[in-house]
Amino acid sequence: MNSTKQIALQRVHRLFSLAKQVIHEDPEKAQHYIQIARKIAMRTRLRLPKEYRSLVCRKCKSFILPGVNCRVRIQQRREPHMVITCLNCGGHSRIPLKGEKKQC
Amino acid sequence: MSVTPSIVQYEFIGLDAKVVKSSNPSVVGIAGKVDDETRNSLVILHDGEKKVIIKDTAVFEFVMPNGTVVELDGKVLIGRAEDRLKKRPRRLW
Repeated sequence: MNSTKQIALQRVHRLFSLAKQVIHEDPEKAQHYIQIARKIAMRTRLRLPKEYRSLVCRKCKSFILPGVNCRVRIQQRREPHMVITCLNCGGHSRIPLKGEKKQC
Repeated sequence: MSVTPSIVQYEFIGLDAKVVKSSNPSVVGIAGKVDDETRNSLVILHDGEKKVIIKDTAVFEFVMPNGTVVELDGKVLIGRAEDRLKKRPRRLW
């Protein structure tokens, strides 16, 4: 990872932590910070870190925080997975839960 | 974070800033947290009020997260937040 990408990663970390602090008082400002963070990541061709990927809605790209503007549920049917519902746009994103395989 | 020319590429939103010099005398002395950034201006929260300060004509003092105080000419900060990442000045001092 070159130095530009490292700086970009630091900025993404700072912007996400700022957005988390600010979302309760000013949700629009938090969305704005996330937009900047995504632009920075796109410009340097950096993938958002794993812990932040679930904090951005896959459909409308807005900042979602569990308990504030999204719903997180776990489904056991078919494959165990987590369903994150964005309460802004109503879109779902599913994340598989890799567990230990059951032995019959 | 050491003070190197790449300091221009860092994030200024959320830092404490102060306007040290400006060609506009009414904005000198404004201090507070940086709230927003555009291509040509910084928005500073001064006593709960948003103050828009033109980068080109001002000199800023920033308190970095590790506590060092950096004085930066606004001229080197011109550029959108994501564009500033790609530019690297030769030598500032």
